[in-house]
Amino acid sequence: MSRSPTPFRARFFLVPALAIIWLSAAGAATKIIDDAGTTSLEPNVNLRWKSAAPAHGAEGMALTGRTTLRVHLNVQPWLHRRGRIFLSLPAQPPGPLTATWTTQGRLAAGQVQSGSRTLLYAGPITSGVIEDIVTFQFSVDGRLVRRPFAVNLRFEMDEE
Amino acid sequence: MHPANSPLASRRARPRRDGGRAGRSSGWYGMLLGAAALAAAPAASAYTVTLTPAAPLTVFLQVGVGTFTKNYISNGNPGNNNTVNQVSTTVPSTAVGNGAAQAMTTDSTQAQSFYDSFTFCTVPSQLYIGGFYRTAGGSTAAARVTATVPAALVNASGATIPFSKIQWTSSGIGDSGTEPFPAGTFVAGGVQTVGTMASNSWNESCWNFSYVNDIVPASGTFTGRVTYTLSAP
Repeated sequence: MSRSPTPFRARFFLVPALAIIWLSAAGAATKIIDDAGTTSLEPNVNLRWKSAAPAHGAEGMALTGRTTLRVHLNVQPWLHRRGRIFLSLPAQPPGPLTATWTTQGRLAAGQVQSGSRTLLYAGPITSGVIEDIVTFQFSVDGRLVRRPFAVNLRFEMDEE
Repeated sequence: MHPANSPLASRRARPRRDGGRAGRSSGWYGMLLGAAALAAAPAASAYTVTLTPAAPLTVFLQVGVGTFTKNYISNGNPGNNNTVNQVSTTVPSTAVGNGAAQAMTTDSTQAQSFYDSFTFCTVPSQLYIGGFYRTAGGSTAAARVTATVPAALVNASGATIPFSKIQWTSSGIGDSGTEPFPAGTFVAGGVQTVGTMASNSWNESCWNFSYVNDIVPASGTFTGRVTYTLSAP
């Protein structure tokens, strides 16, 4: 018995249905969290030599600077769900950069190298906003730095 | 020094909120486009912090004794030392003006290098000179060490010996190659370059001074002071 091809209308519905399922799976991956309420308690981040003398290697050439942010994360879209929050430090000019931070406990302290991310929180999202005071220390090889430069931080959510 | 002339304030990168809706087209195509737009353009934002190299230029010069906590390779800290060391010789009356150079000795006790505590100079015959300058942004032009030299050494009665009658050789225990502070002769009444420092590195030499002894001055004790200055670009 010959099978007739699927009518055009049937295919029309099938393709969008599959596409939506696939997109839904992709959407469960990493999302960038709205941190629009985050403010800096210290507007200036001055980099100074970590050590007075330029000793051997990158350690002796490190410029470091400290700043404190009042981190305000809008996690309303994930309310009553579980999630993992990461701090992402994208690779960016002028070169390799390290950020270490301490918190007041709502988020985890940690360290991140540019081009990677570090876990800040894992568990249920019980309120629409997560806030913490986070003190960052940035460290960069002074040989790469000639002038002020911008560092972008991203807070990312991995839905569970 | 790199100017810090930019505003230092942290600033927020405005969230990009384009997308999210694809209009109200009806049917599956509309749903598909809407779903695709939601997946591609989350409500994204990033916090931007501006970092400014605030004090990237540091210089340290030591002529004779100096001060350093720990040492350079252990990320030690240089300190101030106001000691003015002396280099001197006594010419025997039988040798005055005979053309035989007279070795000079120093009251400096600095034999070890603050780079790594290695015994680099021989005291009292050698005077230590060393230091560093550091700057951000990679290699730059060398820093320069100059000597500001009086016209002459003077005794109590005003008799003089030109400073150009003093010279030095340069070396260091275990050293090979070119010295950062090479041999030379004072230029009387001038400012002369006595060495250079590459950025972000330690530079050192040991100087053996001598008096040329080819003139016959009046008797007495002749003194003069040379001031060394490190200038970074």
